[in-house]
Formats: sequence, C-alpha cells, structure tokens
Amino acid sequence: MYSFLFYLILEVVGWMFLILSFLVISVNMVMMILSSLEMRDYLRKNQFADYGDIITSPIAPGVSILAPAFNEGQTIVQNVKSLLSLHYGKFEVIVINDGSKDDTLEKLITSFELEKSDFAYHPDIDTQAVRGVYKSPNRSYRRLIVIDKENGGKADALNTGINVANMELLACIDVDCILSSDSISRMVRPFMEETNKKVIAVGGVIGIANNCDVQDGTVTTYRVPDTTLGRFQVIEYFRAFLMGRMAWARVNGLMLISGAFGFFRTDIVRKVGGYFPKTVGEDMELIVRMRRFMCEEKIPYKVGYVPDPLCWTEVPENKDVLARQRNRWMRGTIETLQLHRKIKLNPKYGIIGTVTYPFWSLFEKNAPILEITGLIYTSILIFVGDFSAVYFIALLIMMYLLSLLVSSFSVLYEQIAFNHYKDKKDLRKLIWMILTEPLWMHPMVVWWGLKGHWDFIKGKGGWGSMIRKGFKTAEDKRNLSTQSTS
Amino acid sequence: MKKTLLSILLGFCISIGKLSAQDILPKDSSEWINFLQIQNQIPGLGYQLVFPPSLDSLEVQTLKLDLTKSDSGWVSGIREDFSLLAQVESDRVNFKLLYFIFSSQNSEEAVREYISNLMRNGDFDPVTQKVKPKEDLVALAVKSPYAPVFGNRYTFTADLKLFVVTLIIGFFFITALLMIISMLILKARKNRREILKKEYEEMIVDPLTNLLFEKELEELSKMKKADYDPFFPLNYLSKPLYQDVLIHSIIGLNKKMKGEFKEKLKAIYHQLGLDKVSAAKIRKSKWHIVSEGLVEINEMDLVECLQDVKKLSDSSNFHVRSLAVSALLNLSEKSDLSFLRDQTYPLSDWQQMNYLRIIKFVSAQKQLKIEMLFDSKNKSIRIFGIKLVRILGRVDLLERLASIASQASTEEKIEILKAYQEIGAHMEVDFINQCLQEEDLELVEQAIETAKSLGDENSVILLSELFQNTDDFSTQLLILKSIYELDKGKFDEMTLNKEDSSRLKIRNHVLDPKLVYV
Repeated sequence: MYSFLFYLILEVVGWMFLILSFLVISVNMVMMILSSLEMRDYLRKNQFADYGDIITSPIAPGVSILAPAFNEGQTIVQNVKSLLSLHYGKFEVIVINDGSKDDTLEKLITSFELEKSDFAYHPDIDTQAVRGVYKSPNRSYRRLIVIDKENGGKADALNTGINVANMELLACIDVDCILSSDSISRMVRPFMEETNKKVIAVGGVIGIANNCDVQDGTVTTYRVPDTTLGRFQVIEYFRAFLMGRMAWARVNGLMLISGAFGFFRTDIVRKVGGYFPKTVGEDMELIVRMRRFMCEEKIPYKVGYVPDPLCWTEVPENKDVLARQRNRWMRGTIETLQLHRKIKLNPKYGIIGTVTYPFWSLFEKNAPILEITGLIYTSILIFVGDFSAVYFIALLIMMYLLSLLVSSFSVLYEQIAFNHYKDKKDLRKLIWMILTEPLWMHPMVVWWGLKGHWDFIKGKGGWGSMIRKGFKTAEDKRNLSTQSTS
Repeated sequence: MKKTLLSILLGFCISIGKLSAQDILPKDSSEWINFLQIQNQIPGLGYQLVFPPSLDSLEVQTLKLDLTKSDSGWVSGIREDFSLLAQVESDRVNFKLLYFIFSSQNSEEAVREYISNLMRNGDFDPVTQKVKPKEDLVALAVKSPYAPVFGNRYTFTADLKLFVVTLIIGFFFITALLMIISMLILKARKNRREILKKEYEEMIVDPLTNLLFEKELEELSKMKKADYDPFFPLNYLSKPLYQDVLIHSIIGLNKKMKGEFKEKLKAIYHQLGLDKVSAAKIRKSKWHIVSEGLVEINEMDLVECLQDVKKLSDSSNFHVRSLAVSALLNLSEKSDLSFLRDQTYPLSDWQQMNYLRIIKFVSAQKQLKIEMLFDSKNKSIRIFGIKLVRILGRVDLLERLASIASQASTEEKIEILKAYQEIGAHMEVDFINQCLQEEDLELVEQAIETAKSLGDENSVILLSELFQNTDDFSTQLLILKSIYELDKGKFDEMTLNKEDSSRLKIRNHVLDPKLVYV
C-alpha cells in the first residue's frame, strides 16, 4: 500500500511539473506578444508627442525629485548638479542625507552655499529625527532642498522627502543614477494623458551604464560590460524592462516600479502612508499598497510605464555583491507578497489580485523552490529506477530553448526599438551570453533566491553594501589605453 | 470538504489499483494459458482438464493424466500445477479448462477477478518472465491465428507524458521560430527602409533648396506636376516612402522657415499633389495614419480639409481627437470655439497643454471666444476655459467668471480662485471669503492661498477661525502664511507668546527668507 502511494505521489508530482512547464512557456509567449503590442503602440504614439511644450507649460505638473544619499561624498556634488540641470520648468530637488558617516553633507553645504533654514518639518509620515533642512540663498540653487537626518534606511529617507515635498508628483530616484535631460518631461506624460483613470505611478527603464560613455548626464555610447556578470545583467534587464514590464503595463498589471527611477502621485503616496521602512522591497510594496488603496476606494486607476531609456545605473560586477542584491530582491518579494496576501486571487482587486499576484507568487517567489524540487524529484526517480532519460532530456531541452527564445527576443526587441548596441562585437558578446547563461548563471540565480528564502525564514534584514566603481571607469580605461598605445 | 476530497482520492487510488492489476492479466486466450503456465501455482486455484469424448484410449494413455470418462468427455482430476498445461499443449490435443477456486467451480471471469484481488492485496506476485517456446516460433504462428499484441498502440503515444512533452516542444519550436523569424524580418525591413530613407533624403534636399532659392513664388505656383520632374522624378513620386520622405522634408523646412519661403513650400506641396496624399490619410482606418495626415494638414495649413478634420474632432481615439482639435484651432478662420465646446470626451492635461500652445499663438491674431467654453456640458472643457482666462490674462472675462462662480462645481471654483489670484481680482473677495467657509478641503486650501494676495479684514477673521478649527499642520502653515501677508499684527498675536511649539515653528518658517517659496 505504501509503495503504491509513493508511486502515486511520484506520478502526480511528475504531472505537476509538466503542467508547470507548459504554464511557463505559455506565460512567456503571452508576455512576448503583449510587450510587442505595447511597444508598437508606444512608438507610434511617440511620433505625435511634442515634449518641448511640457517644459514651459503652466498646465504641466510640478515634480519633487527625491534623492536619498548615504555616504555618497565622492559623487554627490556632481550628481546633484546633474539633477538641477534637468530640462523641466516646475521641479525641486530634495536630497536626503540619511545620516552619512562621510562628508556628504559638508560637500553639499560648501558647493551649493547652503544654510540651515527654519523649515517647519512636520512628519505626516513617521521618520527618524530630522537634524536640519538646508536651503541656499543663491537663486541659482533655489530648486535644491537638502535634509539632514538620522540614519533610517532608504525607505525612511524617502518618507522624509515625501513629508517635505511641495509638488504634485514625486520622482524617487537613486542619487547616483544618470538621468537623461528630458527624463522628467517624458515620465510626466502618462500622468497628463489619462482622462478616465487616475495615473498613480509611472515606471521607467533602467539602463546599464557599466563600460558606457557618459556625457552631460546622458549615455552617449553604449558598450556591453567587460565582465560576464555585467553582460548577464544586460540580458536580464532587457528581459525585465523591455519584455516583462511592457507586457504588464499593457494589461495594467504592473506590480513593481524600480526604486532607482519611479514617479508617483504625491497625494496618493501620502494617503497610503509612504514607503514601508521595515521591508527591503519597499519599492514593490509601495506600488502594491497604492494599488490596493485605489481598489478599496473604488477609484479607477492606472500604473503607467515608459520604455524610453531615460535612466542609467551601474550594476554590480562582483559575484558577492550581486548575490546580496538578489538575496535582497527575493526577500523583498516574499515580504511584499506576505504583507498583501489579502489580495491573492481576490477579484475585488482586479488584475493585480487575480493575475499579477499569483504570477509573482508562482514564477518569481517560488521559482527557486520549484526548480530545486524538480532536481530532488529527478534524483528520486533515478534512485528508484523509474527515471526516463528521454523524458528528462526533452524537458531540459525545452527549458533551455525557452530561455534562449526569451533572451534573444528581448535583444532583438531592443535592436528594433532602440538599437543602442551598434557594435557587432557587442551583439556577438550578448548572443554568446544568451547561449551560455542558462547553463552557469541561472543555477547561481536560483541558489541566491533559495538563500533569500532561507534568510527570510531566519528573519534576516538589511541591504548589504553596494561597491560602485564609478561611471568614469570606461572613460578612465580608454584614457589609460590611449596613454599606453601612445 | 476535506472528507469529500479524501474519499475522492481513495476512490481514485482504488480505481487506479484495480486498473493496473487487471492490465497485467492477458485478455487473449492463448496468452492467458501461457500466463497460467508461467505461474506454476496460484494459491487457492485449481483446474480440471476436459478432453473431447472422441479421444481414443491410446491417446488417453499417452497423455498420462489419469483421465476418467464422463458425459462431457475425458476429465482429469483437480490439479494445482499449471505447468502441466505446457505438456498437454505440446501434444496438440484440444481441451478446455474448468476452474476451481477453493474446490468450487468458477468461470474464467471469476478466476481473473480472483487473481486480480490476490495481486492487489499483495498475496500473489505474478511471474512475468516469459518462457521460451520450445518449438519454432514460425511453427507456433502457423498454429494460432495472428492477433496484434498491442492492438493499434504505438510505444510513443503509449507514454503519455513523453507525448505531451513532445507536443509542447513542437508547439514551442514553431511559435519560437515564427516569432524570431518575424522579428528578423521586421528588423531587416526596418533597416532597408532606413537605408532607402537616407537615399531619398539625399535625393530630395538639394532640389528642394534649389527650388526655394531659385524660383519665385509666382513661378512655383504656375508650375505643373510634370515641370517638377527634373527636381523630383515622377516615377519616384508615386512611391509611398518617397512621398513620405518628401512630405517630412517639406514640413521640416516649413517649421524652420518664415515669410515667403513658407508660401513657396506650400505651393510646392500643392503642385506635387501631396495635399491629396495628406487628405487621403485622414480617411484611413488606422489611427496612426490618420494622425499623420492631421499633423500634415495642420503644418501645411490645408484649410480645404477642415470639413473632414471637424468630423474627427470627436473621434474615440485620443490622439486623433487631440490632433484634429489642434488642427481646427490652428486653421479655423472663425474665432468661435464651438467644436471644442461640443466635445463629449473629457480633456486630459496633455490635450489642454497642446491646445493652450495653439490658442496662445492664435489669440495674438484674433480674439477667441473663450467664454463659449463656459457653456459646455463637458466639465473638463469648462475648467479648461477658466484656465485660459487665467493663463491668457483675459481681464475682460472676469465678470463672466463671477456670473458662473456660484453654480460652479468644486473643481471649477478652485480654477476660478486661481484665475482671480493670477489676475488680481480684488473685487471678488466676497467669493474668496465664501470659499473659505466651504467643506471641501482642497477648495478651502486654494481659497487660503488666494486670500493671501486678495483677502480683506473679513478674510483675516475667517482665516483665524479656520486656524482654531484645524489640526492639520500643513493647513495651519498655509493659514498663517496668508495671515502674515494680510495682517502682520494678527500674525504676531497668533504666533508669539504661545505655549504651542508648532506655532513657533511655523512662525520661524514663515519669517525665514530662504523659505519664501517653500
């Protein structure tokens, strides 16, 4: 009897994996189609948009750019100058010094002639204590507000900025990101276009700046990173930003806007209580909470997405740092899904409850667990002698081909829509990465995801540190090579 | 629920068990006999061999089965060793079997059921090893008629999982292939188009510049399409991409040029028949082509298309609607805005921004009847009308605004307050004070803001009352800022010598010159 039950379980699990494989394929196919349609429409719409008007129009909304800074002394002045030079009429830049231990604040005070003001700070959203709000009497820096506060993490810093913000829209960014000069006008457009629904947030694409040339705050020449880890992330970012999020945007199912570059409606963010500082996935959690709020209040809403390359960041090229980042992302996802499990399969929450939440739960949160279960299942089959090599190899080929298809589709997609990587060598490197990544990189990502689960169970928190090389790396490298050849 | 699920699962298990045991027992009669032979003995199962009565005594002796004669023929005793059957079969004598389960006679069906039960309960484990036939296979085949063992079943389809996986791979392959091929085709097409575009651009730039600088407007107007052949070959002119590039080049130049050059470009546009191309575009079904046509009509001032454009001003497509209204605003000779007033779709901020740009430009040439928009049934159009009064500084419309203010919605009132503040409508202070007493917080906040520059003594009293009744810090800050502008004495009275630390905080904030705009 026991032996019969054992084989029955094996059979059932086998069928489950088969159905899961079919689901993975179908979902990816649907996503490809949806993202293509969305991109096509976006590019068509863009033909008729004149972004020049937004800069000076009195109808365009004001934007508060929130940039939390922690130990950014090396680059802060350059970064803030770049933010202050963005092409837009009505905006303010709020830099939140989150208890930096280096000279971040001193550098800001000196460079922008800042003086401590009598700003009446009143925390509508609870935050760590604010030590001072700085403004410059110099009119050239009138847009700049610097808040000095006790360290409380990124979410807490952003909440402090939200308490101080004066404009209708919030742009939450990482201070070390490179923003295109027209980034605000392009991101503001979805907020202005909609008539029947309230646009509560708009997400943007994050480009990878490693090894690229940066001039006047814009990436001028694209090159793929030198390291394989960097190249892998180029492919991964294409898949995420050009395929995944475009597809979700098509069906108004976006559940994540990157914390490095996202725009939000200030009144809604305040109504929901700002960022939740106790999670490491605060960007995702905020969007889910905002969406929940809109559903519960029965207000028609939309989360928009702009696929134009407007923001670039440096990605980690060190395995340990990347592992920590992935671990954090996984914990953030688990925490958000746990916090909002009320919406799971609940039709009251529309597409987010019935489609997006189950998708994230199955294909993002539980993906590493399912993959490792698959491995254990195969081992058991081999052990009991019920292993079908043909069946196993067929499944393996199927999954490998799927990965190849999705990745190559994303690269082709980028080539058609934006065509940034013009050098054929770069393309060849990317193609090689597409072919090899499932074999060596994917297992690592799964492993990091599993560790994220384990750390979540253990109750581990925190961000880990990000070691940045600095955007000048490529330029420096080129200078060095020029020197050596001359 | 749990019980139901459990019983379903149990039922499922039993049925699966039953199926699998019965599947092992051969259905074919010769296979059945072989199966019994291989088993030697099956617990509790016996059999009798019955031979036809026609068997002679010699044959009975040869069989060595100790047979006795009965009515039905020669019958053996009850035996339990099935291997004997092999010997009987080799003697090529016809026989039939009588089965005994625990000494009581039963049918073959019952025996099958009995064996299945034994197998299910684990009391009997059948031997599956096949006994090699002692005789030549061909000889055996000749004896027994041919019957396929797997009856129309292939090994491939028999393994359902493998079959499904293969199906998925097939589906996946085909879709993937189709997708990648279509992507590659698209990219190749795009590249080809880009190359051709560049080629055409190079072909067009020089002749277009020559025409503009070498020919007079009158000359250009008199030229016929055929006369343009040396500049723009007519065989190329029929190609849609060439037409497209030419249209874009002309429009691009038209945006940059002024005065007579603009007229010359328009003349060329007409003479080459490109106006007809643009007009045809707005009759297409695809929205992006219609939008293209509308942009061209707007840029090249093709007033003859206005009737068609007007039809599109209430289109269900956002872009078409927006571009049609923009074109109408730009090209319409009339100063009335009835086409905008009658729009049924709500106006987005994006549309308002675009219309505002055109209205700003047009209002320098003619006085637009903005007041028409106040009569619209569409609230967003009415709000846009009020915004226009503010942005264009139409002091002449303040009276009209005052007349609609009392019946206006909250959003309209907020816009009216903004307009008053921007234009400096001191005479409307009563309306501002009235708004200070409203329930809606957004409206009250705007009224506080407006009162800062337009308020009177009554406003100060109302603001002080409001301050007493509100706990909201940002509203308090707003009120004290306004009171500071209207009555500094009152401001000092309200903020000095108070134990309330928040008032002191606000006072310091208001008095800090660095925070004037914060």
